[in-house]
Amino acid sequence: MNKRKLSFLLVLVLLFSVLGGCGSGNDGENPTTSPQAEMEIAYYAYNSEPILNWDPSVMFSNGIIVLNNIYETLLRFDPDAKEFEYLLAEGYSVSEDGLTWTFNLREGVKFHDGTEMTAEDVKFSIDRTISLGTGASYIWSAVSEIVVIDEYTVEFQLSYPSPLDLVASSPYAAFIMSKDAVENADENWFENANEAGSGAYMLESAAMGDEVIMTAFEDYWKGWEGDHFDKVIIKKVSETSSRRQMIEKGDADITQSLPSEDVEALKVTEGVDIIVKPSFTNLIGFFNTEKEPLDNPKVRQALSYAFPYQDVVDYAVGGYAKQSVGVIPYGHWGHSDDLFQYTKDLDKAKELLLEAGIQEGELSLLLTYMAGDESEKKSAELYKAELSKIGVELEIRAMPWETQWEMAMNEDPDQRQDIFVMYWWPDTSSPYSWLYSLYHTEEEILFNMSYYANEEFDTIIDNAAEISGTDIVKAEEEFIRAQEILIEDSPSIFMYDREEVWAINSTFKGFKYNPSYPLVVFFYDCYRAK
Amino acid sequence: MKNYIIKRLLLGLMVLFGVILITFFLTRVIPSNPAAQWVGPRATQEQIQQATIELGLDKPIPVQFIKYLKDLLNGNLGYSLRSKQPVLNELKTYLPPTLELIFFSTILAVFIGIPLGVNAAKNKDKALDHFCRFFSIGAVSLPTFWVALFLQLIFYRWLDWLPLGGQLDTRIKMLYEIPKYTGFLFLDSLFSGNWIIIKDVFSHMILPAITIALYPIGLVARMTRSALLEILSEDYIKAARSYGLKERLVLWRYALKNSLGTTVTVLALSIGFTLVNTFLIEAIFSWPGIGSYIATAVVALDYPAIMGVTLFSAFSYILLNLTADIIIALDPRVRV
Repeated sequence: MNKRKLSFLLVLVLLFSVLGGCGSGNDGENPTTSPQAEMEIAYYAYNSEPILNWDPSVMFSNGIIVLNNIYETLLRFDPDAKEFEYLLAEGYSVSEDGLTWTFNLREGVKFHDGTEMTAEDVKFSIDRTISLGTGASYIWSAVSEIVVIDEYTVEFQLSYPSPLDLVASSPYAAFIMSKDAVENADENWFENANEAGSGAYMLESAAMGDEVIMTAFEDYWKGWEGDHFDKVIIKKVSETSSRRQMIEKGDADITQSLPSEDVEALKVTEGVDIIVKPSFTNLIGFFNTEKEPLDNPKVRQALSYAFPYQDVVDYAVGGYAKQSVGVIPYGHWGHSDDLFQYTKDLDKAKELLLEAGIQEGELSLLLTYMAGDESEKKSAELYKAELSKIGVELEIRAMPWETQWEMAMNEDPDQRQDIFVMYWWPDTSSPYSWLYSLYHTEEEILFNMSYYANEEFDTIIDNAAEISGTDIVKAEEEFIRAQEILIEDSPSIFMYDREEVWAINSTFKGFKYNPSYPLVVFFYDCYRAK
Repeated sequence: MKNYIIKRLLLGLMVLFGVILITFFLTRVIPSNPAAQWVGPRATQEQIQQATIELGLDKPIPVQFIKYLKDLLNGNLGYSLRSKQPVLNELKTYLPPTLELIFFSTILAVFIGIPLGVNAAKNKDKALDHFCRFFSIGAVSLPTFWVALFLQLIFYRWLDWLPLGGQLDTRIKMLYEIPKYTGFLFLDSLFSGNWIIIKDVFSHMILPAITIALYPIGLVARMTRSALLEILSEDYIKAARSYGLKERLVLWRYALKNSLGTTVTVLALSIGFTLVNTFLIEAIFSWPGIGSYIATAVVALDYPAIMGVTLFSAFSYILLNLTADIIIALDPRVRV
């Protein structure tokens, strides 16, 4: 045997021994059987990057799914009970004029850096968020000053009444961080994936844009009695087929954003539970009310009667949605099932169009939606089919978000689209987030894509927002009254309220979805069934 | 020889400049508002205007281009609109996993493709040749994303032999400290000397590497076969045979060596193709490489990131071409 042959043989042997070692992934030494591995690990397969910006004052995106486990807010809102859960605050009070809010802080709360949380930290955190002025910091715009009364009491002084309890429980921009840690950190500290929270989990490691590993924080103020996870993995798994397979095999504990065909298949898969919960995201089609003939409410009503609500729910979202009643989605306070709901009625639509002096074949409209969104696309196509039956032509245009938005902000109303399709979700859990952002008179166009301007409506919602901090029942009534006006004026088609579909491993227990915190899993509440 | 290389280098630089020029202007022509993206969702008009000035988007496009070129010469590729991190840093993070993948798939292409081609040529028109033809055409023409999903279904879902995706099992990553010497996970795992880590890293590599290697394997096998057949009919091969040299020696030493020129060129080009292929495959295998990176960057219209990756791809193509040209030029029979 010559040398060359021998070396070739050696390489071959080496290659096969390595291949052989890997091929049978299950035998041999298995890391999950080593004593260290007996800890419980939760695995969240997420469809996008778990987090891109680690700065709790700035982050205004997916990152809440991570930061809400690492940081805490003063309060947490429970939309089902319409109540607040007290986290870093033990209680709070508000002055009669609604301009002074006093929060009593919980004693003995430790940050991950070991320092104790005091009123100084709260003041520092919110002041920092306000002064950086990016992300969702605008939620604090009513605050004029934050005063430290004593070690565990902090007072917010407002320049106008605002429901500060809802603001303080926002999923974005309301995190409390350790003053000590952030002040002593260098400029790139957050950028390099560091945290200064007080939450149940600490950041262990993070691979940018890919995965985050968190570990239980020993000194967490709620303690670790009972069943909890020791570690949590949140990983980007962008392929839906991969997420489905991981859930089927039990490699992932929880995932969402699966196509409805996969959800149907998973429903009958053993070991997998499907949970359907309302989300606070709804799809709205805004009419350009500054352009003829859409400035006529009759035409808008006609177009609202022509929308195939049930077909859209069934075919565009695979059944995981409900036709909207008004602007505020199901399950959110301010929603009322008693409000008028348009249903598809083409005869009525035709009649209304004729009343407005529009003959068949006279009206052609342009609808824009965000390119890449399948549900929006299908909804638009279904709508187009219905409109053609009553002689209205609909042009559908998919556009990147920024372009769509820029077109909507054109100074000349005739240059804008006729129907603007967009999702909305709340930044603070208040009906005001929809009614103000989408329908309040705007001097400079921002999100009021109907260009709706109605003084009476403005006054009602502004008043309702002011009293919602002190009298939520009355505020809710007012918000519902405002929606009655909207529905009559019909500046938009209220298409559907989306539902969130979760696929979870049957052994993953304790998960209760809170749609005020979109896609957040509060891992402290979860545990593995034995 | 020296002149030839210098000429090729200059030509490469020109191509690179062309790529920069075209991609830069293309990304400015597509309707979009990078400033709005920079400040994030629900920003006010004021914030967007301020960002426009900060990002220099208020200046005329030629001025922006010159600034981009200047920054480029200083090694600054700009900041990603999504993560607000320097694109260069991101490339440094995402590049090693992709290079590892390409390295392994190239090895597969060489060690499977060439023997396959040689044996097909040796057994021309016999069963093995037919199999080789069938396999190569299949390997080249099957859509890679389909192959990827199919392999996942078989080896993860049904057989449970190999992991679904990723570069390393997260649970293993949590249990063991993996030293960072080179940034290349496979090398680092070898240095760690921990068999469990090495095995895990390797098993994660298999499916994506095979998927990506299929195209070059098919191509290399076909090219080797046809080049070899041509050479086998040459007179000097007849002469070698008539001397009574062993057929194996004739085939593997004399004939193959002379046919390698084509194979090397094809291989170099197919590595470039592989790089592009990873854009698709990495997303499916959750491979934390440059392919996943650009996939998300494109969806979000993150221009600086798209430009960065495009430049890198163009640069690699040019470099690979140049290498292939030089290797061929080293052949004394080729006069340059």
